[in-house]
Amino acid sequence: MSGAAVAGVGLLTGWGEGAAALPADARAAARGRRVVALARPALAGERFRRTTRECLLGVAAVEALLRDTGLGREELRGSDTALVYVTAAAYGASNLEFIVGEAGTGGALHFPYTAPSAVPGEVAIEFGLTGAYSILIGGPAATLDALRQAARLLASGRCRKALVLAVETFAECEKLWARARWLAGRPLVESAACALLVPSDSQTPLVPAPAPAELEALARVRGGETLAVGPLVGLALARAARRAGVLALTGEWRGRPAGLALEAH
Amino acid sequence: MAAGAITPIGGDLDAFWSGLVTGSDGITRIERFRVDDLRVCRGGEIKKFRAVRRPGPGCRASQLLFAAADDLLTRARLDAPAERVAVVVGTALGGVEELERALEPGGTLRHAAGGLYDAPSHALARRLGAHGPVLTVSTACASGATALGLAADLLREGAADRVVAGGYDILCRFVMRGFDALRSLTRERVRPFDRRRSGLLLGEAAALVLMARERDARGPRLGRLLGHGSASDGSHLTAPAPDGRGLEFAIRAAMAEAGVAAPDVDLVSAHGTATPLNDRVETQVLQRVLGPRAAAIPMNAIKGGLGHTMGAAATLEAIMCLLASREGIVPHTVGLEERDPECGLDYVAGAPRAVRPRVSLSTSLGFGGCNAALVLEGAGG
Repeated sequence: MSGAAVAGVGLLTGWGEGAAALPADARAAARGRRVVALARPALAGERFRRTTRECLLGVAAVEALLRDTGLGREELRGSDTALVYVTAAAYGASNLEFIVGEAGTGGALHFPYTAPSAVPGEVAIEFGLTGAYSILIGGPAATLDALRQAARLLASGRCRKALVLAVETFAECEKLWARARWLAGRPLVESAACALLVPSDSQTPLVPAPAPAELEALARVRGGETLAVGPLVGLALARAARRAGVLALTGEWRGRPAGLALEAH
Repeated sequence: MAAGAITPIGGDLDAFWSGLVTGSDGITRIERFRVDDLRVCRGGEIKKFRAVRRPGPGCRASQLLFAAADDLLTRARLDAPAERVAVVVGTALGGVEELERALEPGGTLRHAAGGLYDAPSHALARRLGAHGPVLTVSTACASGATALGLAADLLREGAADRVVAGGYDILCRFVMRGFDALRSLTRERVRPFDRRRSGLLLGEAAALVLMARERDARGPRLGRLLGHGSASDGSHLTAPAPDGRGLEFAIRAAMAEAGVAAPDVDLVSAHGTATPLNDRVETQVLQRVLGPRAAAIPMNAIKGGLGHTMGAAATLEAIMCLLASREGIVPHTVGLEERDPECGLDYVAGAPRAVRPRVSLSTSLGFGGCNAALVLEGAGG
């Protein structure tokens, strides 16, 4: 299994755009805030008027990727580009709104956005993506599964480019997250990121890396708790540091560690 | 591949199959939660389920998965080291009913954690003692197909030696209220591909298969997954692309991976939700991809008696294809009585047909423009 390399990463976090916006120490920078929020992106277009914040963040993350790589939208459009979306909880806000809005706002317009597939659905519509498609639910380990799946799609010729998109929002469900003792003292940082994977000549083996790798720790210290976006924060940090070659990525979710080695251009 | 299931027409795999060939109707008035304020109060609800509650998380989603797993393990063994056993489960709703509970007075942290969509699949992995990868797939109503495809990829890559894969979803107020608001639910009978079709009804189910590489498979086999494909429509959040481009791409990808052409296909298990648009688009895509051969292939849709079981649907339909091959019978499309000229394919109607398909094609679509297709080969015949 091989043949994939990271060609770019678009990253938006509650700290700003890109790895350069990340503080040296997220915990200190949060100054006691439990959630470091990302504003609703101001994207043009009537279609986005009623779209949820998490959907807009997905679209904005792909736009950030285009800025990072210098690619144009037309280079993503069509069936040659696969989309693998991953989130642990970005559907929580829309689910919550639908449930608590039962007597009022929850209805036909809102219900479709409660599905995790709404975010990649909006991204696919916006960028004209009609290739291979998958959606995984979970934290950092699921993102590693998503990267691995994207690499499989490339290696098997089922696509020529693969986007791995992750979005996490927390603000609307802050009271629920506050009950999670395992997060004590760690700021939840809203974030959205998209990595572009392309075929690689170097046949990088996708094997479990020893956990936890340096990038995982660095992403958490600088980014804060970003759940599924975490491994992509690590990739963005590596890219900002101009680290090329094989990167060890690790993550853990629900007590299950995972890892892989992935080439970065 | 071996299988296990719990459905509105049967509490295990054998009962599910019996229900299909006898044309059982699992649609009833929903009793487990309040529906009296909804337009439509019926669905494929599994009755008398609480009486056999399994140990572990009490949420209905996990309990349905456990029931399907128990049924599966009566037919197959997880004969691999725990760290080589993976779980890949598809769902449209995950444990969302637990989120509703978390928000009620007295809601607990356990409810909140259970509201995450991957909670039931991890509960299943713990119950099975599986220490390999655990993947939760949520490509809406195509989830059960995407999960089998990802499971095959894990095996092909060598990331696992056995994969328990499939899908589930429960009927709950959350989803009933949502589909009711969308006006997608019919007040009449579910009639896939019928001229009078007017919408779907929802159902609940769990379906699991045990997958292994061909060379590692032991014991009786139900069949093989030859290929899978997926695609996004990039068209609309809730409606299929009018030209069916995503579904077409997924079918062509699955057939290419399987190495089969239209003349090889003996059965098509259609998504067949019985919405006016879905059934027309699906028919047109099948005609395009399969060409003149499309009109000669028996096709069916099983949502008429089950309801649309969302995350479980595609896995149940894949299992149906393999059982049809084993038994030499293709179940009929419950609810189809008056053929629609716009859906002019050979939909099996009225009674099961004595056919033993070798290669089957199964199609699925879901919210968010999700499309998936599976090509399966039965072990029968």
